Amino acid sequence: MAIDAHQHPLFFRDFCADAQIASLRREQQAYYKMGVQDVRRVIEQNRINGVEKSILLPHDFSHFQNDRISNDAMRQLVDRSEGAFYGFAAVDPNRDDAPAELERAFGELGLSGLKLHLAKQKIAPSHMRVLALMEICQRYNKPVVFHAGISWQPDATAQYARPVFYEPIAVEFPKLRFSLAHMGFPWVTETAALLAKYPNMYADLAALYFDSTDEFFHYLFDRAMDYTWLDRGIRHQVLFGTNSPRWGAKRALAAIRRLPLREETVECITGRNALEFLGEEEVNWLD
Amino acid sequence: MVRLMEFVVKTCADTAYINITQEVERLVESAGIAEGTAFVITQHTTTGITVNEALECLQSDMEQTISALAPETRRYSHARMLHSYGQSADNAPSHIRAMLTNNHTLLPVRDGKLHRGAAQEIFLAEYDGPQDRKVVVVVLGN
Repeated sequence: MAIDAHQHPLFFRDFCADAQIASLRREQQAYYKMGVQDVRRVIEQNRINGVEKSILLPHDFSHFQNDRISNDAMRQLVDRSEGAFYGFAAVDPNRDDAPAELERAFGELGLSGLKLHLAKQKIAPSHMRVLALMEICQRYNKPVVFHAGISWQPDATAQYARPVFYEPIAVEFPKLRFSLAHMGFPWVTETAALLAKYPNMYADLAALYFDSTDEFFHYLFDRAMDYTWLDRGIRHQVLFGTNSPRWGAKRALAAIRRLPLREETVECITGRNALEFLGEEEVNWLD
Repeated sequence: MVRLMEFVVKTCADTAYINITQEVERLVESAGIAEGTAFVITQHTTTGITVNEALECLQSDMEQTISALAPETRRYSHARMLHSYGQSADNAPSHIRAMLTNNHTLLPVRDGKLHRGAAQEIFLAEYDGPQDRKVVVVVLGN
């Protein structure tokens, strides 16, 4: 059974009961035909598709778009879901109260990490507001997931999401574990190089911008890099993720298992790496 | 007279043949139509409706045959991001299998009940599950 390190709850009925909110999210986040989801059914579907647990990544676009999923609501959903989810926090770095809210999300609510989409939030990773949040995450030993690479969302430009722009965070916060989502597509080679250098950097496989999953994974791991890079160099830093509901789990898991990788590498990617990323297991592969 | 009824099936696998005969019969009997035709129609483009015998081995053969006709690993033009959805269409085989199965069946109604052959059972063919699938039953007659 796998852990999906990248699932979005924005259409869960718990966060989307109002038809207006659902409609707004369809337009603002480019999920034009997405329906509202029943959480119990999502959990059931995840498990049928081979996903035992998911990392839920909410959003806080309150500064520019007046839309967010509250950290309190995330906590309540996780508590109701019988261990199916790790709930991350979301804050908008443009807001003055972001650091205090993040402290509360970790200290009081006990959420498992932080999700930021700096392309949508229109703020550079080197901005002092972002660095202030990184300090909090490192202090609480909580990981961060950044959207990285091209975003399918409107009004979210890649100038804030190029992987190499996140290198200073790896340098300034060497104990902070953070993930660049989507393998930083199209800067996949750049992402791989960063992971090779910085053991505290991770990336997830939630990427399906072209083709079928099998074909796109072939591009990622046989043309943008080599399978050997994944199987030897960065095997402990790549996380299985789907970006659900934009893409799904069942074909992605099957596609990973068809890659010419060692079985242990597949086990790392589909489960163990997520546990280390979350801080639930010790990182013991550095040599 | 025309009666239109619906029900939802929560499927539990990527590919499955789900026997919906009992539910269809129940709806046909509730329609209050003595003689006519019952249409069983699926409202999705990655499911089908088929009539066959309810044997596990046969269902296995059906699954293998349909998978061979529309295999997962062929190169499909539909394998791409769809701007109109904002999601990826990674399910071309599911659509083709649904096309090969067809989206409906029809059976006679006699004495207010579904008049089917002894070996005939009605299946919802799921090709992109697990999902919640709507089936429409329309009974036309007197």
